[in-house]
Amino acid sequence: MWDNLSIKEVAECAKDPYPSIRKWIKDNGKKAIGSTFADVPEEVIYAFGFLPVTIMGTNKPLKKAPSHLPDNACSLARSNLELVLSYEGDIFDGFVLPQVCDTTQHLSDIWRINFPDKYVESYLAPRQADRPSARYWVKEEIERIISSLSNWSGKKIVEEDLREAIKIHNENKILLKEIYDFKRNNPSALTNKEFFALMKLSQQVDKAELNQSLKKIKDSLQAGKNDGYTDVILVGITCDPPEIYDLFDEINLNIVGDTLLVGTRYIQGIVPAKGNPVDALTERHFKRGFFSPIHDNVYKNFEEVKALYKETKAKAIIYVHIEFCESQEYDLPDLKRMIKNEGILMHTLDTEYQTLSLSHVRTRLQAFFESLKGGSL
Amino acid sequence: MSPTSKEMSKKITDEYMDEAFHAHERGKLIGYSTAISPVELFVAHDIIPIYPENHAVANLTAKKGAELCSVVESMGYTNHLCAYARSDLAYRKTGITVTKGIPEPDLFLACNAQCFTLTKWFQVLARKGNLPVFVFDTPEHVMDSNTRKEIVKYCVLQLKELISFLEEVTKRKFDYDRLKEVMKYSAESSILYKKFLDMAQYKPSPISIFDALIGMAIAVYRRGTQECVDYYQTLCDEIQAKVDQGIGVLPKEKEKYRLYWENLPVWFKFSDHAKLLGSYGGVILTSLYVHAWSFEFDLDKDPLVTLAENYVSRFSNSTIEDRADMATELFKKYSMNGMIMFMNRSCKAVSFAVPTLKEILTKRTGIPALVFESDMGDQRFYSETQIRTRIEAYFETLDRLQA
Repeated sequence: MWDNLSIKEVAECAKDPYPSIRKWIKDNGKKAIGSTFADVPEEVIYAFGFLPVTIMGTNKPLKKAPSHLPDNACSLARSNLELVLSYEGDIFDGFVLPQVCDTTQHLSDIWRINFPDKYVESYLAPRQADRPSARYWVKEEIERIISSLSNWSGKKIVEEDLREAIKIHNENKILLKEIYDFKRNNPSALTNKEFFALMKLSQQVDKAELNQSLKKIKDSLQAGKNDGYTDVILVGITCDPPEIYDLFDEINLNIVGDTLLVGTRYIQGIVPAKGNPVDALTERHFKRGFFSPIHDNVYKNFEEVKALYKETKAKAIIYVHIEFCESQEYDLPDLKRMIKNEGILMHTLDTEYQTLSLSHVRTRLQAFFESLKGGSL
Repeated sequence: MSPTSKEMSKKITDEYMDEAFHAHERGKLIGYSTAISPVELFVAHDIIPIYPENHAVANLTAKKGAELCSVVESMGYTNHLCAYARSDLAYRKTGITVTKGIPEPDLFLACNAQCFTLTKWFQVLARKGNLPVFVFDTPEHVMDSNTRKEIVKYCVLQLKELISFLEEVTKRKFDYDRLKEVMKYSAESSILYKKFLDMAQYKPSPISIFDALIGMAIAVYRRGTQECVDYYQTLCDEIQAKVDQGIGVLPKEKEKYRLYWENLPVWFKFSDHAKLLGSYGGVILTSLYVHAWSFEFDLDKDPLVTLAENYVSRFSNSTIEDRADMATELFKKYSMNGMIMFMNRSCKAVSFAVPTLKEILTKRTGIPALVFESDMGDQRFYSETQIRTRIEAYFETLDRLQA
């Protein structure tokens, strides 16, 4: 189903992947396990023969979520809850939900209470990452998730199952990285929206199949005229709704680097192929870049962003703020100050998952980049 | 004549703050701590714990919230972050406070059993002074008993890391014997503190939640000391004397509604709420919040194990199902017949559980709930007329049900 998609078809499917997921699990007699952001070891779920699906909110109206989570809760959390309560819950046989902040901690509980007949497990990610105990805990948690899935499904997995899952997931990330490298230097080859659709869909559908499409897409990419683009990097957690990428494309921005969970931070999840697979998955956890809820050092985030900015020779940073994301909101004033002190231009986009009109975002973005063209660009 | 608990509280607090303000002269360090943190390790290592939350409460209770929170918004922080954090960051910028302020920190201990927000707030403060922060990460106290055991192991590992961290910062060896002594005081005062809270079981209740909120202060910042034990002993004796004389917050014949409160208080409406509810025959008796410092340390266990077990299992780090069980227990124990559920915009860690908790508790107890939304410290989110009307309507409902 996903093994022969063109780039346009991927973009279309990524807009609403759930009908195809629903059909695929029915046709293949598989079970889907949903997760929210971030860092659930999806290779483990895959090794059991389940389809891991990262749930990334819905643009459909909120009907039920507001009675569970008030309006000052992170809009991604409310949107994810709405997606399963009102729209796509039937697809999933179970969920593995990471807890990385107060909101996701409550979300796990609310989810479990609302789906008493489904498998709901929490992935208790460590919210510190620099001490040996964090490494100990990640390994414990991965082993616990394996044991929990095994108890629920009655299946056992062996090292070879995990290795095979890791291989497929690594291949997916390597393909995405290669496409990203091409896009970086050849922005006319595919739009930002198309590229990030590849990233998004990779986290939602069967990777063994999608990898076939990615290979063909990669081989079909052609260099074209690359004049008139402005290179920028995206900083944040996610970037939604996807129409925001249309705005970038409209004004010829070329995203040459990012720190998003739906971007580079996913690609950074390539797992070392050698050694014990659980150890390798543990190791991977610490190789990924900054993620505000679990990393405490905004200087590190700043250094990462600065290095990316220099490496890619970008002209500006676009910071994507998710409305009511507490973690980002504590970090942002200092991060902004550090970036400003470095003389780097930065534009902050305030996003909300249920946003229907992007006119205000468009106006501010256009104004920012018009002023750039009159100045340093 | 022996001092009263009020006199003792003032003396303990004055001496504590005096010592804190002169800490460096006496060769001691100031450690900022979250209120629910294994502060026993600080006390045992002669680090003076300071709780920016307590200072924030003083300012918010004195109605400084809106003024301070407006300042912090001009610094780039949004108005829906915790009012403790917002008012504190504004205090650092403006110096505005109704107290003498608090001493500057040398290090930070942030335990996320209370909330995730505090760790982010402390990180902001630490960045300003380039100071060390130790995050004591407490995964949710999930319901599976095997997982709980693993969580405790992880927490014990971290407590050992915390001890190494303290040794490194202070260049002094940690004294485990001293920790055992501190644990003994902490265990004793916790038992007495719980006894004090549980006196709300009597009819009429000799204390309301407002007494509990005042009475909990010493447990928060002086636990692990002999004076803390002495204070709660005196407080319990005083309340017992009231019980013996039949003295209640309201006279027995006027105590109609024994109420449960969910969440932190609306600090700037503290006394207004007590008076308003009292006029309807209502007394708020308790909440999960005030019980957060009712530790049950087991002195027969390794101190690090019993510390880990206690801190990880606070209500604020428990599942909603467990919170509902804890609250149900309080309903039975205190014979409560009403509940006020406060959706506190400032406190996501407590408030995001409220809608689900309300559903469970009303179903289990058959008691209707009053739910209202506001902010614990920022008056701009408090609608006087609307909340008063809702309180009046709620008591009318209770009256009808009782009739």
